[in-house]
Amino acid sequence: MKSQILEKKTLSWIGIIFITVIFLIFKENWGWSTKYPKEFIVPFADWINFSMEKFIDNFGWFFLKISWLLSWPIIAAQLLLHSIPWVVVMFLVTFTAYLSSGLRLALFTFSAIFYMVLIGYWEESMNTLALVLISVPMAIFIGFGLGVWGFFSKRAEKIIMPILDIFQTVPTFAYLLPILLLFGFGTVVGLIASVLYSFPPMVRNTILGLKRVPDHIIESAIMSGANSKQLFWQAMLPSCKKQILLGINQSTMAALSMVIIAAIIGGTADIGWEVLYYIRKAEVGQSLVVGLVIALMAIIIDRITSGFALQSDKDTKGPGFSKNSKKNYLSFAILGSTILFLLARFFVVLDDWPYDLSVWVASHINDLFETFVKAFRTEIKQLKNYTLFFIMLPTKIGLEQAVSPFTWGFPLEMIHKIFYFTSFSALSIWFLKNKKNDIFVFIILLMIFLYFGLTRMPWPPLLLIYSFFAWQIGGYKLALGTFLGLGFIVSVGMWPEAMISVYLCGIAVVFCFIVGTSIGVWAAHNSIVSAIIRPINDTLQTIPLFVILIPFVMLFKIGDFTALLAIIIYAIVPSIRYAEHGIRNLPSEVIDASKMMGSTKMQLLFLVKIPLALPVIMLGLNQTIMYGIAMLVIAALIGTNGLEQIVFIGLTDGNMGKGFIAGISMAIIAMIVDRITKTISERRSEALGLEIK
Amino acid sequence: MFNLSKVASIAATAILVSSQTLFAGNAPENDDPIKVTIQDWTGQHFSTHVAAGLLKEMGYNVEIVVSDAITQHPAIASGNIHLSTEVWTNNVGDLYDGLVDKGDIVVVGELGLSPKEGWIYPPYMEERCPGLPEYKALYDCAQTFGSAETFPKGRLVTYPASWGTRSRDMIASIEMPFEPIPGGSEGAMVAELKSALSAEEPVIMMFWQPHWIFAAYDFNWVEWNPTDGKCVEESQEKDTACGFEQAKVQKVVSKGFQDKWPAAYEMFKAMQLTNADENAAILEVDEKGRKVEEVAAEWIAENKKIWEHWMH
Repeated sequence: MKSQILEKKTLSWIGIIFITVIFLIFKENWGWSTKYPKEFIVPFADWINFSMEKFIDNFGWFFLKISWLLSWPIIAAQLLLHSIPWVVVMFLVTFTAYLSSGLRLALFTFSAIFYMVLIGYWEESMNTLALVLISVPMAIFIGFGLGVWGFFSKRAEKIIMPILDIFQTVPTFAYLLPILLLFGFGTVVGLIASVLYSFPPMVRNTILGLKRVPDHIIESAIMSGANSKQLFWQAMLPSCKKQILLGINQSTMAALSMVIIAAIIGGTADIGWEVLYYIRKAEVGQSLVVGLVIALMAIIIDRITSGFALQSDKDTKGPGFSKNSKKNYLSFAILGSTILFLLARFFVVLDDWPYDLSVWVASHINDLFETFVKAFRTEIKQLKNYTLFFIMLPTKIGLEQAVSPFTWGFPLEMIHKIFYFTSFSALSIWFLKNKKNDIFVFIILLMIFLYFGLTRMPWPPLLLIYSFFAWQIGGYKLALGTFLGLGFIVSVGMWPEAMISVYLCGIAVVFCFIVGTSIGVWAAHNSIVSAIIRPINDTLQTIPLFVILIPFVMLFKIGDFTALLAIIIYAIVPSIRYAEHGIRNLPSEVIDASKMMGSTKMQLLFLVKIPLALPVIMLGLNQTIMYGIAMLVIAALIGTNGLEQIVFIGLTDGNMGKGFIAGISMAIIAMIVDRITKTISERRSEALGLEIK
Repeated sequence: MFNLSKVASIAATAILVSSQTLFAGNAPENDDPIKVTIQDWTGQHFSTHVAAGLLKEMGYNVEIVVSDAITQHPAIASGNIHLSTEVWTNNVGDLYDGLVDKGDIVVVGELGLSPKEGWIYPPYMEERCPGLPEYKALYDCAQTFGSAETFPKGRLVTYPASWGTRSRDMIASIEMPFEPIPGGSEGAMVAELKSALSAEEPVIMMFWQPHWIFAAYDFNWVEWNPTDGKCVEESQEKDTACGFEQAKVQKVVSKGFQDKWPAAYEMFKAMQLTNADENAAILEVDEKGRKVEEVAAEWIAENKKIWEHWMH
């Protein structure tokens, strides 16, 4: 029975490959299959622009009123933060850090804040903080409300979840312009953009937390006569406090990562704006120095909130909160602030750090970097050329065009072609004979892709291949979704750009997955490696992405290769983290058992550990892809040609519809890949009888 | 690296220095703040601070607002921003033209800068490609500018895709063996120039002036056939190529500005700055690390004779 199903599947694949070959043969004759005809492009973009215009004409006043209302809390927060001397802010935050996680974090916080003062960016930092202070509570409030609603109403959850997906996958650049058109100009736009971007994690964590409340807690609360209000506020909520604090933590991080993107539209003299200013001047040193402020802020807030989240878990760690000590801490904070405030009245340095005392390390970084560029010029060029010739060009335009005397050292002749096709075919048939039908199909498809190149393949067979693949992984629903989603991209005429995005992101993801997972596995076995990797990962994830771009351009010049590296450096982090996490948290009894059975270290790793950790590793792959797509948008700033560039053109041209459609197209690709990888991960863990955390 | 409160205090001292001036009209007509937008290149910072400083001289309440070269347009149209000193007509997108046609953005005139756009290269390239700066030389030494991605063609870095495709169109029409690579963003383009210069590597790039980079490094411009003022970029011939149509830098205000602050409008209409003014200021700021507010206040103090005329 089973072999018959296998046959059927393989037969369908052979049919699809056959169709693909037909399309490739008639590529020249069927122009529409490589270039979607202009007459058939559905003008969604124009429709969106038109309806938006009408909408603004009729309801614009309403949004402007909201905008006016929202501008007050920001102004108030800015005034407050500016009027407090920096020593006082430093004292309060450091003290909070101490309460959250003890002396080490307090020390770190102290030095980080002093760094902001020392480099002369205190006021800009406070403007950024003001935005975060207003937007995060809003995001948390909205997110908590939606989360509770989604928990109690299945129908609501069904509506909320896809909306969250959209907000988290549509590139933020794509919805900046609509917000700008609706809410007018100013800091409020940044506020709304960051609320929209940062509320989804709160919703997710709230729902998850409520779902995980153990039954016995609910039962005992009901038995002791709690009404529904008491049940919720006094029994359920406290027991999912940890998850909710995690949501707050994630929302805050999301808001901070939005700060720099919001700076693009301007309106606030904040740190994001300063970073952009130096990036435009290609000042590597300054942009790093200033960008680090955002990274430090993110790390401090992250550690403080997650410190409190841990404390709620086990009250033994950290200074803790008994009622009495709470009172003491509060009076200590008030007393300390008052003293420092008064001191700052007498010593102006404590309030307004003089410009002349600011420390400039930036020029040293610049010099160092320039020396490096000069010294390794040849090596850099070789690395770049080899990657281009042997990996990137074949994937993009296919071996048919990539092989030339200049790149590979010889022209592509008939003999090479025959050798290429026969060896691949022989290999695939060998696998077919050994009943490895999936590998057989994979090799045949790879042969075709590599020869013609992703961007030169006609779209109808590609659509078919992707949809059929989705059907195999997740059944007809996923297949239908894939088909409709990709069909939409074809119908708006953005298929070629979409394939360029897929090509860049695809290579980056494959690299990240292989290398990142290896590093992660290594780190799981070696605590020194783990200790070295962690701060690097933290910085890479929190520093504004733009900051990474400029040094890469200096090293590798404008072009696809640089974009690729920028994507890799950002997207590799989740691969590393998940692999390490997956291996470290394997049930010890399984490992002990296999050790007792006498397996070698290598056997243990490849036959036991990695297969068992695979579901978690696959989640890492999923996140790597999401991060890759997010970074792709930023890579548009170094001159790529994919969907991300259209998003950007839409923003700078003021063509909202165009940018938005391109953004939706990117979201579609992200969601399809997300569903596919998640389904694979779920299936694996089901097969292993594990539960993924 | 400006900061609003310090801007205000410096501008305030500027007013104290010369508050004796007599002004035409009965400025200020009202106390509502005139919101002046500042963007992200130093030349514009300078012209904005000059305009803001002068408006304050006249007694107006001026607020400086940060915005972006493109996103300022909807903001001006909706009255959230009232005045912008530099709108470069080659880099505005459809949005701007539409808003000007509708009357939501009012063009007051040109600022007086004569911008230049075209292809630049470092002087050391003249040894490697004899015949430069004449554009015809590029046909023979395309490979000197070649790279792995573009071989056998030369590599030309052009404006970011969102700024249009002018170089691409021109290369196609005059059949020059170059491959246009979109620069992505100003930062990426400047980074590429800096990196090429530090290692004396070949580079040729579409660029614009006034820009601070000309104060910091040496560049030569590719020269085209002279024209009688008009150059149709996308339909040129190989032998008679004229290069690029040069941009205008316009001063704009929001709808209703003239009625609300007539004297301010008249002053802004008369205001003129030259390339020399801006380049000098750019050099002070970007090379000597001085604050643009300071440099602008200095210009105002030294050029009273010039701007007094603008106020009458």
